[in-house]
Amino acid sequence: MRKIFTYSLSYKWSAIIALSLMGIELIVELVQPLIMAKIIDEGIVSKDYSVVSLWGGLLLVLSLLAFAAGVTNSFFAARLSQGVGYDLRRDLFEKIQSFTNRNFQSYSTPGLITRITNDVVQIQNLLFMFVRIALRAPLFILFALVMAFTIDAKLALILVVSVPLFLVFLSFILTKGVKLFKSVQQKVDGVNTVIRENLTGIRLIKGFNRGQYEEERFTSVNDDLMTQNKRALWLMEVAMPVVMLGVNLIILVILWLGAERLAANTIQPGEVVALVNYATRIMFTFSIFTFLIMVFSRGNASANRITDILEEETPSYLKEQHGEKHELKGEVRFQDVSFSHESQPTLDSITFKAEAGETIGILGETGSGKTSLLHLIPRLYERTDGAIYLDDYKIEDLDVKSLRTQISLVPQEIHLFSGTVRDNIAWGKEEATAEEIEAAAKQAQIHDYILTLPERYETQLGQRGVTFSGGQKQRLSIARALVRKPKVLILDDSTSALDAHTESRLMEALKGQSCTVFMVAQKISSLKAAHTILILHKGKIVAEGSHEQLLQESAYYREVYHSQLEEAQ
Amino acid sequence: MVTRSNIRRHQGIGTAPPKVDDIRSTIKRIFSYMASERKMFFVVLSLIVASSALSLIGPYLLGRAVDLVVSEPNPSVLFRMLLLLLFVYAFQSGFLWLQNYWMIGIAQNAVYKMRNHLFSHMQRLPILFFQKYQQGELMSRLTNDMENVSRTLNTAVVQFVTSVLTITGTLVMMIWLSPLLTLLTVTIVPVMYFGMKWITKRTGKYFKQQQNHLGEVNGYVEEMFSGQTIVSMFSREEKVIEDFKAKNEALRDSGYWAQVYTGFIPKLMNMLNNVSFAIIVGGGGLLAVNGYISIGIIVTFTTYSRQFTRPLNDLANQFNMILSAVAGAERVFDIIDQSEEEKDEQYANRISNVKGDVRFEEVDFSYENDQPTLQNISFQAKPGETIALVGPTGAGKTTIISLLSRFYEPTKGGIYIDDHPLQDVTRESLRSQMGVVLQDSTMFHTTIRENIRYGKLEATDEEVEEAARLAHADEFIRQLPGGYDTVLDSDGHGVSHGQRQLLSIARAMIADPSLLILDEATSSIDTVTEMKINDALAKLMKNRTSFVIAHRLNTIRSADLILVLQEGRIIEKGSHRELVKQNGFYADLVRTQMAENQALS
Repeated sequence: MRKIFTYSLSYKWSAIIALSLMGIELIVELVQPLIMAKIIDEGIVSKDYSVVSLWGGLLLVLSLLAFAAGVTNSFFAARLSQGVGYDLRRDLFEKIQSFTNRNFQSYSTPGLITRITNDVVQIQNLLFMFVRIALRAPLFILFALVMAFTIDAKLALILVVSVPLFLVFLSFILTKGVKLFKSVQQKVDGVNTVIRENLTGIRLIKGFNRGQYEEERFTSVNDDLMTQNKRALWLMEVAMPVVMLGVNLIILVILWLGAERLAANTIQPGEVVALVNYATRIMFTFSIFTFLIMVFSRGNASANRITDILEEETPSYLKEQHGEKHELKGEVRFQDVSFSHESQPTLDSITFKAEAGETIGILGETGSGKTSLLHLIPRLYERTDGAIYLDDYKIEDLDVKSLRTQISLVPQEIHLFSGTVRDNIAWGKEEATAEEIEAAAKQAQIHDYILTLPERYETQLGQRGVTFSGGQKQRLSIARALVRKPKVLILDDSTSALDAHTESRLMEALKGQSCTVFMVAQKISSLKAAHTILILHKGKIVAEGSHEQLLQESAYYREVYHSQLEEAQ
Repeated sequence: MVTRSNIRRHQGIGTAPPKVDDIRSTIKRIFSYMASERKMFFVVLSLIVASSALSLIGPYLLGRAVDLVVSEPNPSVLFRMLLLLLFVYAFQSGFLWLQNYWMIGIAQNAVYKMRNHLFSHMQRLPILFFQKYQQGELMSRLTNDMENVSRTLNTAVVQFVTSVLTITGTLVMMIWLSPLLTLLTVTIVPVMYFGMKWITKRTGKYFKQQQNHLGEVNGYVEEMFSGQTIVSMFSREEKVIEDFKAKNEALRDSGYWAQVYTGFIPKLMNMLNNVSFAIIVGGGGLLAVNGYISIGIIVTFTTYSRQFTRPLNDLANQFNMILSAVAGAERVFDIIDQSEEEKDEQYANRISNVKGDVRFEEVDFSYENDQPTLQNISFQAKPGETIALVGPTGAGKTTIISLLSRFYEPTKGGIYIDDHPLQDVTRESLRSQMGVVLQDSTMFHTTIRENIRYGKLEATDEEVEEAARLAHADEFIRQLPGGYDTVLDSDGHGVSHGQRQLLSIARAMIADPSLLILDEATSSIDTVTEMKINDALAKLMKNRTSFVIAHRLNTIRSADLILVLQEGRIIEKGSHRELVKQNGFYADLVRTQMAENQALS
């Protein structure tokens, strides 16, 4: 919350103006009952027309004044809240741009999206409310009490004693209610989970004849939801009738004591009416309180979630210019490199060397650490131990940006952006010429296909455009990687959807590029031509060598090879 | 005097009401879920009438009390009056609480029934239904629309009735007390109407704009965050931040105007309240000076005017809420009105101990007068055989399996199981003889143990673990931090795709079905896991008649019968050897796959 407050400071004038305008409204509301008392006591009771019309006219003018203030307040309040919202989104987005994969994993993409949209909206609402009514409610109560004192101290004392009691009661109900509604939300999630699973698994459920079982499962979560919902709603419904009754009782007491004073002539009739009016208005303020506490608790939770992101630690090497820029040849050397992910060791003293221009194949089961190993080279992950050298430069002595422009990565999960085919390839190199883009597409074996598209390189991809098959997407993302003529090319199982023929043509085309290739694949046919194949198992290199060497030396490699060979026969 | 109040949202007079087809019959239907509590509902209604009446009497008596206080302080008369007021207030609060308490009970019970009805109906819907609707769309009906109905029943009904009663009652009381002052008070109504109309016209426009811009920001952020590796790999951060800035600015600008205009609404209402206060005090004061009315009536009117204008604006809101809930309920009833899966024929019998002889004779099938999906399908599977279904997407492979499970009925021809025509067999007993392993490896959000047990609900823990062992899943399960009690995500985080397949095989294994249906996965799974899957499948298929929608060459090759489908017809049929000899579509398919693998040797 404090962090969010500092964001408001850039709009402090808007906030101050909005708050002062709110003050005008507040004052008008506070003097209204006093004027009413004046009209009654000096006008009606003493039958004076001019007093009634003078003060009545003033009441009308004041109402319009408050309205003008309120409307103007809207502009400044909106400027503040929208401005802060804009700044928060900007800073969140920029911050997230410096996130590493590790940061991403601790939040999940949907989680980050919610924060940048939903949570910011909550903050906006909170700020908007704050400079419009939030302060008004407590201030109104405070000043109303003071005003009441000026009329009659002893009568006002009744209000002073009872108002805090009501506030305590309300906040008790509300804090309990918020808790209950949170658990209602959990029950709603429970119901939704069963429904979602039912919809996605309907074939399985029907296949296994589990309709009855599913119904029972649903009835039980539905029952939970109903019970909890009733409990929460019932609690909240207690608040209003109790407060109403309480305030009404106070009004009766004021009337009773007022009558006594009136008889003793220590008070004017209009003043009794004014006191009653104050009590009524304080009551209306209570209902605003209920609302405010809701907005505030929601806003506070959002503020915490946003602050978490803004204060998330990101590696410093990404932020500023750091290290030297060097033209690389493409030699990569790992020396006893270890890497742990969330304190779970993922890679364990990896040592190998890839000469510039060599192809390194990597084979291993899911979870053996292949992707982690590859992500260490462009510093998408940061090793925990050991040393990585590129052309004999220590990796941390190199400027990250310049390092990454000389490396290309084709990740396992292909991600293309909305835009044209050309835009997507040009992601690899912003200033790429048409010739360079076509050359890359040709190398990636996708050029011929692109030419068959309705608008060729200008064809739109994604939701509104053409959908590509898995293999086509892979080739397009390889083209994107090749257009920048990288010194190191990383293919993380990114040829899996290509047929053997296309794959071999691609590998042939890569030979013309003088770059070091790291290639993860499941098919030995893809890896056979590599200079060195590393076999990873549980984060360790258990065997390495050329295809022929491994056939002789590694039982595991032989087993995989034969099982795949069997299929082919 | 004090009344309930609600904080309004940015709605009210002038906002377009949601579209509803047949409001009366839908409301009737919603109320049919309350049938068992009809008496209670009428009690609630009478409570609402009573509490509304008390909310009218309260301010009137208060006015009288004020008059008593001001004019002739007679303690005993005043005391009686205050006592009367005390009763009025106590009953009003009591009735309010009771009506809400009971209404919530009735509403939640009704919603509970409605949800259950909806869900159990869904279990009886034919599979076709789930193909026709998008999952997201169904999900939204089942959750958002139901939630909407629930919220509205809880509060909007009571509030709506209260508002209507209060407005009419207040108006009547005001006219009775002083027609002239009433006339002065209602002058603000047209101002309110046109003011709200002016505002909502603008808020509507800007809210739509804001929604669009928010959608754009959302889409952009989602695209960039999920492609973060690429963004940072290609050092595009600055460009992306620049692009985001433009969208962010557009959102701020539309959001600004939406919020400014929304902010006018409470200020307008406040102003109207204040103006009417001024009119009543000023105008009423002039009347009082002349002795037309008493001070007490002024006090009464200050409360009445609030009671009058507030619900007037709320009314539009509540009505919209009710309409949108009715529209939601209509979408829900839409599902409930879908016809169920056909009932079993009267002469149908239970079938048990299926040997596994399956015969299709000249089966045709088409979805609802559509183009034929299957034509002239004939083949026979002897007990224990494996039938592979091969062909491009949309060729009708899944449809054949759905016919066999009696998800659909053939339009022509006959299907026989152990020589019984399929329609002589109850669906339930037929399906209990079948086991399925589907490509997407659906898992439920519960422990691994329960997921496997899904195949046979009464299985013991030992049986579960035995099945896991046979399916080569035991080893990896034990390596998980929670072992068999690891809770799976519905999206399957925590276990790999291949491991999910192993679990799904274990689930079929424990069911021990006579007929097995497999939809093989095509996605890339690491070699070792794939070997395990192959082995587990081989064990599972042994001695069972199995239908496999096959992609892997080695499954296809070892099948006893291969059906090659194209556009709903069997174009080739026979064993691997026979089909290769025919040198047709199948031989072609084999050659392509071989080419890939031959690169090995």
